[in-house]
Amino acid sequence: MERIKEMISSRKIEGIADYINLYKDIGQKLEKEQPKNAKTIKIAVLSSFTTKGIKEILFIKCCEIGCLPELHIGEYNQYSQEILDKNSSLYKFKPNLVIIFIDAMAILGEQYFSPYQISDKDRKEWHDEKLKEIISLIKKIKENSSAKILLHNFQVPLHSPLGILENKQKFGFIESVEALNANLRDTFKNDTQVFVFDYDSFSSRIGKESIMDCKMYYLGDIKLDWQHVPELCKEYMAYIKPMASMARKCIVLDLDNTLWGGIIGEDGVEGIKLGPEPEGKPFLEFQKYLLSLFDRGVILAINSKNNMDEALAVFQKHPYMILKEENFAAMQINWNDKISNMKAIAEEINIGTDSLVFIDDDKLSREMIRKAMPEVLVVDLPDDPSLYLKTLIGINDFNTLQITAEDREKGKMYAEHRKRKEFQKAATDITEYLEGLGSVVTIEKANSFNNQRISQLTQKTNQFNMTARRYMNEDIRQFSKNDKFLVVSVRVEDKFGDNGITGAAIVEKSSSQWRIDTFLLSCRVIGRRIEESLLAYIVKEAKKAKAKTLIGEFLPTKKNIPAKGFYKNNGFRLMKTDNEKEEWAYDLGKEYASPGFIKVIVKH
Amino acid sequence: MKRLNAILSKVLGIEPDLITDKTSPDNVESWDSFNGLMLVSELEKGFNVKFTMEEVVSVKNVKDIKESLRKHGVKLDG
Repeated sequence: MERIKEMISSRKIEGIADYINLYKDIGQKLEKEQPKNAKTIKIAVLSSFTTKGIKEILFIKCCEIGCLPELHIGEYNQYSQEILDKNSSLYKFKPNLVIIFIDAMAILGEQYFSPYQISDKDRKEWHDEKLKEIISLIKKIKENSSAKILLHNFQVPLHSPLGILENKQKFGFIESVEALNANLRDTFKNDTQVFVFDYDSFSSRIGKESIMDCKMYYLGDIKLDWQHVPELCKEYMAYIKPMASMARKCIVLDLDNTLWGGIIGEDGVEGIKLGPEPEGKPFLEFQKYLLSLFDRGVILAINSKNNMDEALAVFQKHPYMILKEENFAAMQINWNDKISNMKAIAEEINIGTDSLVFIDDDKLSREMIRKAMPEVLVVDLPDDPSLYLKTLIGINDFNTLQITAEDREKGKMYAEHRKRKEFQKAATDITEYLEGLGSVVTIEKANSFNNQRISQLTQKTNQFNMTARRYMNEDIRQFSKNDKFLVVSVRVEDKFGDNGITGAAIVEKSSSQWRIDTFLLSCRVIGRRIEESLLAYIVKEAKKAKAKTLIGEFLPTKKNIPAKGFYKNNGFRLMKTDNEKEEWAYDLGKEYASPGFIKVIVKH
Repeated sequence: MKRLNAILSKVLGIEPDLITDKTSPDNVESWDSFNGLMLVSELEKGFNVKFTMEEVVSVKNVKDIKESLRKHGVKLDG
């Protein structure tokens, strides 16, 4: 896969022909040698017109991020048939993502040219009918496939035979398309399988006047000029990246001429450019947007060649410094080389270097990182700071397919984690550290508020996870409705802040024996003996129900070594080992002592 | 002429040396309607011109392309 990525980056791509030739060349290379362990994704594109070019360009864009896609392009204008026939090639293809691109001209038909040959009332009916049609198509896909669906909305036309009176109608032509878009958005607002792609907004960005080459439309029914297809595919990638687990989590920033104008070591706190004046404003607004990314859960870090105290003085003293120390999960401000600093940052935050985005005004540093760490996304920051904000807004690598309250707080939590580590360094031994942390654990039974997060934890937690059983939202809901199961979430707070829901357990109850099906803690709270408090809670509940034995299972995976000794070290004895699965038993006649320095709150 | 042949070669996948005035959809298999439109798009970009629909429809071979380009003020020497 790396070689294909290199092949793409070494090519000069100027137009559609270059994409198509590159696509052919990659195809030939793949015939000779299939990359091992490459991530794959199956994407189906259904459209109402000729979308040649999308296949080739989307394929290349996926390869660029290290994902080898399979593509199915629906027959020209056959989308309804493909969706309605459950034996169609669409469903045989078993897509992970279905993109539906129906254009406004196709859905409006004759109305596109002569909208006022029908009455406002008929137009309302047309709108209701089309909405129903689209919704039922989507429903059909959902019946036959669990694929995510990316549904284009419609480009609102610019023309009206009524001219300036267009928006004086009871239910006008333009209004009918706008209403269709608004209703599609509202219909799927809470649908986690369907995403409405705002094609109207996309075409506004490109420019509705130039989005179509009229000649090409008449000659080949091409309604999106080829030169804009790469941009469209780039927008699709915003959905594909999180689907392929290729989203980024952390922005690593340089300081001088990146977060502020000038060099702190030379210009001093008063001399740097940052503030409401023309030269300082690009940096001010750049920081504001970084803060809003932090607020949605993006982790921030610093990688800068500077003296720590001089740099920190800006954070502490500059009146227009928007970002504060507490917004950063790691601060590598020193004279080490930037590559080792990058590695130190990834280690400190405990994420892979492939989750990092690097923003630095210095071309040399960027080239160095790009060469040494090709997995890092290096942003080509323009020389002109007035373009910084635009560049930052254009990065679409931070998307997640759903967002939980914990995701929103993530940036903050990692920053608090850094302070905790500093505190740990200062403490002389581990017990002193843990006692000083003042941990509060809230154990709460599964409910509509924490369901989604519990499911997310079962899917994402790899290290301290006894069984690594992955459950969907719906599974957790079923467990929590069932009297035979106890499902709880664990929230951890301490004096540095709230870690949010970072642990969960699922226990199957029977009269004499309880079995721990799932027992996990996020890596953010490992090593604080939280697991003992959670186990103590389960022991207590089992005793209350007069059970005799508590069974704990351990299913080894590549990554859950930190969980391996847990049952052994907590008074369980090994009953049997079955195909690597260890079964441990705890005699509920025994007392179980949990750490006294953790305060436990139980919410039932 | 080099630039024109490079574009033709890139789009149609044929050797630049083999391109003559007589090269046409009739003797080049890859010159189908899709590649024909791609050729229009690449030529317009490469020479910074805009063809009319009439010009596109009436092109029968490379000679016609050259004539159209000349009409748009493109110098095709050498």
